[in-house]
Amino acid sequence: MSWIALGIAVVFEVFVGFAAGKADGFRNLWWTIATLLGGGIATFFLSLALLTFDVGVGYAIWTSVAGVGIVIVGALFFQQRLTKQKAIGIAAVIAGVIGLNLASSV
Amino acid sequence: MTIDSSSPRTRTGRAWAALVTAGAFEVGYALSVNGSAGFTDLVWSLVAIGFFVLTLLFLSIALRSIDVGIGYAVWAGIGAVGAALLGPVFFDETMTPVKALWLALIIGGVVWLKLADSPALGRRAEKSGGRVSAGAASMEL
Repeated sequence: MSWIALGIAVVFEVFVGFAAGKADGFRNLWWTIATLLGGGIATFFLSLALLTFDVGVGYAIWTSVAGVGIVIVGALFFQQRLTKQKAIGIAAVIAGVIGLNLASSV
Repeated sequence: MTIDSSSPRTRTGRAWAALVTAGAFEVGYALSVNGSAGFTDLVWSLVAIGFFVLTLLFLSIALRSIDVGIGYAVWAGIGAVGAALLGPVFFDETMTPVKALWLALIIGGVVWLKLADSPALGRRAEKSGGRVSAGAASMEL
């Protein structure tokens, strides 16, 4: 259950990643509203996940997997380049999340 | 473009101060979201909403002058390291060396990822290789 909540929180945080860019430093009203709303929903589901996860672990996984998601969505849908450098970062995050799970019951 | 009469150095200093402050607020955000217990605790919930607004506000101020990739890397790094270090201080949580090692890999990975997304660093890296393509200067997030 906590993993599902964390997954939903990640999806909304990825949305926030793109909406925040379009909000243009809070100058675009509708994208600003979308950013805050998306961030609010992400925060709510993060709080549900943190009922089970330790805050240090849950927060790090949330923010990092969202970062990976933003790069992958950007490459798939927004013509951003998926460089070798970015691939290294993605691999490190994924390896870390898997390792953390194997090392502890989280 | 906004017109700022202060010197570039003062402006950069202020931007970095705003960025570090945003990072500190992000730590507060993570801890208070945890404390809200699924937004059932009123006081922690209100504190969390306050930090949520403050961290976004200071980040957006910092990103006016600091490269977006570098800014996000520092902000995310401070937030994640701070939450991992202070979680056990404020709550009934434990941090083992093995857990810390894997966490360091995750946080290092996301900081690296944000830096790889930096238009400024990308330009510097590709200077010798000719002009930066529109795709390389990735979209501002």
